[in-house]
Parts: sequence; C-alpha cells; structure tokens
Amino acid sequence: MYDFMYHFPVLAIMALFLGAFLNSLVGRRNAKVRNTVVVLSMLAALVMMLSLVKPILLDGNSIVYWLSNWAPVEGWAIGISLEVDALSLFFALIVVVAVFVSGVYSFFYMDRDDSLVNYYTLFLMLSGSVLGLVLSGDLFNMFVMIEIMTFTAVALTAFRNTYEGALEGAFKYLVVGSLGSTSVLIGIALIYSQTHTLNLAQLAAVLPQADNPVTILAFAFLFVGFGSKAFLFPFHPLAADAHAVAPASISLMISGVLTKCGVYGIIRLGYCLYQNMDQPFVQYFVTGVGVFSMFVCVTMAFNQHNFKRLLAFHSISQVGYVITVVGLGSALGLSAGLFHAMNHTIFKGLLFLTAGAVQHAAGSLDLDELGGLSKKMPHTCALFLIGAASISGLPPFNGFASKWMIYEAAFQQAGETGNFFFVVVCVAALITSVLTLASFVKVAQSVFFGQLNPRFANTHEVSLGMRIPMWILAVLCILPGLFPDKVQQWLLTPATLAAVNAPGYIDAAMGTGYAAQHGVEATLSAGFGMSGAWQPVMWLLLLISVTLAVCIVALLGSDEKATVTSEISSSEDNDPKYDSFFSGEASVYSQVGGSDLFWGFKHNWRHYFSFMHNWHSGVVNDYTLYGAAAIAVALVLCVIFL
Amino acid sequence: MKKTYKKTPIISRCASDLFLPLACVFGCYVVLHGSTSPGGGFQGGVLVASAILLVFLGYGGMGVKHSFNEHMLHSSETVAEIMYVVIALVGVFTGLNFCVNFVFAGQQVDTSILMNDAVGYHVMAGITCLLIMMLSVLEPDDGPSQGEEKEDAA
Repeated sequence: MYDFMYHFPVLAIMALFLGAFLNSLVGRRNAKVRNTVVVLSMLAALVMMLSLVKPILLDGNSIVYWLSNWAPVEGWAIGISLEVDALSLFFALIVVVAVFVSGVYSFFYMDRDDSLVNYYTLFLMLSGSVLGLVLSGDLFNMFVMIEIMTFTAVALTAFRNTYEGALEGAFKYLVVGSLGSTSVLIGIALIYSQTHTLNLAQLAAVLPQADNPVTILAFAFLFVGFGSKAFLFPFHPLAADAHAVAPASISLMISGVLTKCGVYGIIRLGYCLYQNMDQPFVQYFVTGVGVFSMFVCVTMAFNQHNFKRLLAFHSISQVGYVITVVGLGSALGLSAGLFHAMNHTIFKGLLFLTAGAVQHAAGSLDLDELGGLSKKMPHTCALFLIGAASISGLPPFNGFASKWMIYEAAFQQAGETGNFFFVVVCVAALITSVLTLASFVKVAQSVFFGQLNPRFANTHEVSLGMRIPMWILAVLCILPGLFPDKVQQWLLTPATLAAVNAPGYIDAAMGTGYAAQHGVEATLSAGFGMSGAWQPVMWLLLLISVTLAVCIVALLGSDEKATVTSEISSSEDNDPKYDSFFSGEASVYSQVGGSDLFWGFKHNWRHYFSFMHNWHSGVVNDYTLYGAAAIAVALVLCVIFL
Repeated sequence: MKKTYKKTPIISRCASDLFLPLACVFGCYVVLHGSTSPGGGFQGGVLVASAILLVFLGYGGMGVKHSFNEHMLHSSETVAEIMYVVIALVGVFTGLNFCVNFVFAGQQVDTSILMNDAVGYHVMAGITCLLIMMLSVLEPDDGPSQGEEKEDAA
C-alpha cells in the first residue's frame, strides 16, 4: 500500500497537467466531456493528497521521489526530486481543496462566458503548477512552477477582457510579477554559483555553512521574489488591480493559493534553507514587512468602492498577519502562521465566492449602488456573514482561533525578548483586526443591508451549484474554530515540526547522517506553550451573554438616549417636508452608503489617506519602481545586517 | 486582393524552395539527436517551425495560409503534450519511477529519445501556430491592403 502511495505526489501533479492537456484536446466541442475531464483530474489530485495525510502528517514519514531514479551519488544530488514532508503536504492540502472548490464553483459561475476550454486549460495548469511548487524538492523547479503560475494567472486575470481594466490589471500583474520572478531567478543563479547544487535538501545542508556575501544577496533576492508572489508590501497594488477584474473563482485561486506559495517559499527559505530565522535581523525584517503589509492594506481597504478590490486589500492584510508571525521565529508563531494561512484560504475564498455570487446575480460590484440584497439573496448573505465574522476574528469561527494564536505568539515573543518592537507588533495586529471588522461592517451595510436599490429589484438567489461550494467553505470556517486543538494536533504540529526540523528534511533526501556530517542541527526549539485561556466556545458564551445583557438593559431601561428622535419632525405627522430634505419631494431611494459609515475616521485620517491615494498611482511604471526599490532596500539591509 | 499567391521576386521563391528542405531536415536532425548530442526537442522544434518564415518570404501570406492548417496544428500540439506525459507515466506503471528509462535500461537508446520527439513536435506545432498568428497580423488578408495602396498612391 505504502509503495504505491510513494508515486502519489508526482501522479497528483501530472493528473492536473494531463487534465489540462486532455481538456484542450477533447473539450472544445462538448461541454460535458470538458467538465468530466476537469472534475476527474481535480478529484484525482484531491484524493491522492488526502490519502497521504496518514503516512505523512500522522505517522511522520516523508516521501522523497527521485525522478527517473537519479538518486544522489556520493553526496551530490544530481537528479530532480520531489520531497514531500508535512509542511509541503500541509500546503498541498490547502491547494487541492481550494482548487476543487474553485473548479466546481466555476462550472456554474462561468456559464455566461464563452471559450471556456481555454479557461479550464489555464485553470488546471495553474493548479498543477502550484501543486508542483509546494511539492518540489528542487529550487529550480520551484522557479519553473512560479513562472507557469504567474503566466497562467495573468492570462486568467484577463479572461473576461471585456471588463473595464481587465487588460490593464493583467498587464500590471505581468510586468511586476515578472520582476518578482526575475528576482527569484537571480537568487537561484547566485546560489548555484556558490554551492553547485539546486536540490533543496543539499542546499539546506550546505548554505548555512557557506556564509558569504553572495549567499546573503541571494537570500535578499529570493525573499523579495517570494514576497512578490505573496503580494507583500510594496507589491500589493497588483493584487488589488488583478482581483477586481478577475473572475471570482480566479480571485479565490490568486488570494487563497498563489499567495500561499509565496508564504511557503518564505518559510522554506528562512527555516529550512538558510536556517537563519533565529537571527534578530531576519526576525525584524520579515516581521516588519508583515506588519507593514497588514496595516497599510487594511487602511487601503477602507477607501475602496469595489467589492472585490476591497477584498483584495484584505487578502494582503491577512497574508501580512501570516508573514508577521512566521517572522517571529518561534514554533508557536510558525504554527499560528500556518493556521492563519489555512484559515485565510478558507474565509477569503468564501468571501470572494459570495462577491462572485453578487456579481453573477446583480451584475455589479459597486458598493455605492448595491444594497439591501439580503432579502433577495438570503443564503449568500448568511454565507457572507460567516466569512466576514471569520476574517474579523469573531468567535467561534476559525479566524478567531488563529488570530488568538497570533496575538499569543507576538505577546510571548515580546515577553521573552523584552523587546518593544514585538509589543508594537501585537498592538498592530489587534488594531488591524478591529479595522477589518469595521471594514466588513461597511461591506455588509453597503451590499446586503439597508435599502434595496430599485435597479436590483429583480435579483434572484444564485443556483444551488454555486451555493454548495460556498457552504463547503462555510463549514470549513466553523469546524476549525470549534476544534482548534484537533487542528493543532493533526495538521499544525506535524507541519511546524517538519519546518523547524531541517536535519530531518536533509537526511530524508540525502541519506541518514548527511546533515550531521555538514554540522546542521535543529536550531529552533519546538515548544507550543501558550499563556492564557484559548477556548473559543467560552469566548462565544461570553459574547452571547454580553450581547444579551446589553439587549436587556436597552429593552428594560426607559433610557431616552436609546430612542433617537429627530428634533425637527415629530412622529405624529409624516409630512415629508420635515425630513432632512427641506424642499422638493421625498427621496425614494436613500441608502446609507457604506462609505458614509466611517466618515469621521476617514476625516481624521485624511492626510494619511490622501497620501496613500497618491502613492497608489495606478501607473505600472511606478509599481515597477516600487518593486525595484524593494529589491534594493532588501539587498542593502541584508548586506549590512546579516 | 485576388485569391492568388502574391507575386514575390523569383529569387526569394527559388531561395525558399532551396532552403526549406534543408531547414526542415536540420531541425529534425537536432530533434532526433537530442538525447545524445547538444540540442534537443526544443531547439530542433524551433528550427523546424522557423521554416514557415521561408514559406512566408517565398510565397507571402496566402502561401502560408494555403499550406498550413492552424487548427490541426493546435490540436496535434496537445497530442504531443499528452504523449510526453504518457511516456513519462509508463515508467511508473512498469514499477519504476516517473520519467525512468524503462525500454533498454543503461543504453543510449531509451525513452528520453521518445520524449525528445514529443517535445520537438510540441514546440514545432506551438511555435508554428504563434508565427502564423504573428504573420497574419503582419499582412492583412483583404480590407486594409487596399487602404495601403491608396496611401501609396497619395
């Protein structure tokens, strides 16, 4: 049984690629054949990855697969390998589940588009490349997969090229994404010139010893390259432009899966290849980038008037959380980051799919004109609220569990090191979470509550085929929130231990004793001790009781403050002339726009917002310049401090 | 324009007749020898595909259009991709690893030559499709050519 499972990683990748090729051969004429091919290849990948859960995550084995049997000779890895340890499998599970949900959703979501065979071919190639990236044991193959991933994602972003800005968004993504890919390539070239190998396991054994300026430059290049794939600051404007115009299923892929590849790359780079996450500079650098992304993007999201553009900024903000805690360099921080990465895929996917449902049903994503859709689309509204509660970190949803771990990790780091920087990190994470909640109150008000715009009076609930994928994600939002200890036990602990256990990764590929021979030892201690209570159910009870108390006080008390009366109009005469309009006719449609909800906050911060507004100029030259500046700054900082 | 080949100078037609077989044979040589010598599927495929430029130079856009079926090329390209994956997968199903040389283990003639051929065909078909697309942009079929003539007259 286990012998055959040994082939599963390569078969899963090939199932997706073969599906893409078969699809473009036979799927051109018949939609049923096409959908069958797509579902079969996605299911094959999903089942193979799920069947690897027991041997790898629970039993702690890892699969090393040498393509064409080119096993290492005399300590040199000459062949190409796939190496699947618990960390790789953790990300691979995220990928295959997201791919499956997105694929099923797009059968119904894309029913009004034509030339779908191109869509599914690109979609499956994107999925296969992402799976290949996380399972690969070879640095250059990671680059190849990054290239396939970037170009298919660009093509899919521009798939609905009739949308305003679709080609522009795709072009920006192409140019600046290529900058990131080039950065990865330069890093790989520098590493290869120094170590003469590209195998991840061998590099992990050799690189920490080969501590010279060239490998440090390579670290900076690779970090910026992977960071650009995760759309970290200052690459985030790309994501906003791409998400706003891409189909919702592709937005799910870009935010849920592609950014995770960048996160995976950074974790592999810091914890496995260079093993320098215990150095203070790397911790400050990675955490600083994460905090910046998290805070800048959540404030940018405040100003957006497009549903999916707003979600895009939140997406980067949540990835910022992940990078922040990954940069802490503690086992608790890493497992919190992994948990939040998983949860981010789930709830952000759910939110993007609800946005797609609104777009499919109402034909608009403009927050200023939508409104009151909860009566027309009750299921979508309920799903949106689940997603919004998760992303804002309300108990008992998964976002609460992982954000709680994030605060714990930052707090613990601050306590252990006594460094004020980590206190700021913890506070910034809390503030970002509050701003996220505020921003989703705005979206809920703008889209689902308030008054219905007469233009959307004929809107209907979306079909069952679109709701089932959303319900799957909603259930996945609730389950980890209720049983975080099981998730910790089954998924996070094995993945974290695999990430910090570089010698195990090396020995699995290169033969036992190879790591010890090169003097590689596990540097990080793997302790998961948490301070404080972490029981979402108790917090839910607290929330419910506080809400009840407030309600009871409000109902019992004859408090005059609780009843708001207008000073002008009395309730007896309904004469509209005493409304806030003093002349003319009463306004028929007067939705309180979501952008009006937080006008005071926006007014107070107007200088910051206008600066940010000018900074996000929308010009691709500027964004390329920001990318180049990011590379330059990373190079300078790494050379000086590392 | 009329549905005839555009008249090109006889020198370029003769030269294209002469070099076309050479380019194709050389490209095929590079593909077939890819497993034992420098070069390989990709380079050879590009060489064969670039022969379409000779057709274009000798016979113009109509000549390219008459002699190539773009749709057929496109679907046969995917056949080559599938062939590559299937050849690689046979290694798994014979109880060995992916991409493994299962035919004559240890010899120079092995599955990699078949994979090379698949890659060569794939690249040839793909690049040919690309070039046809680019050439059709270069020389519009009917409408704009008259406009150009008017511009020339003016």
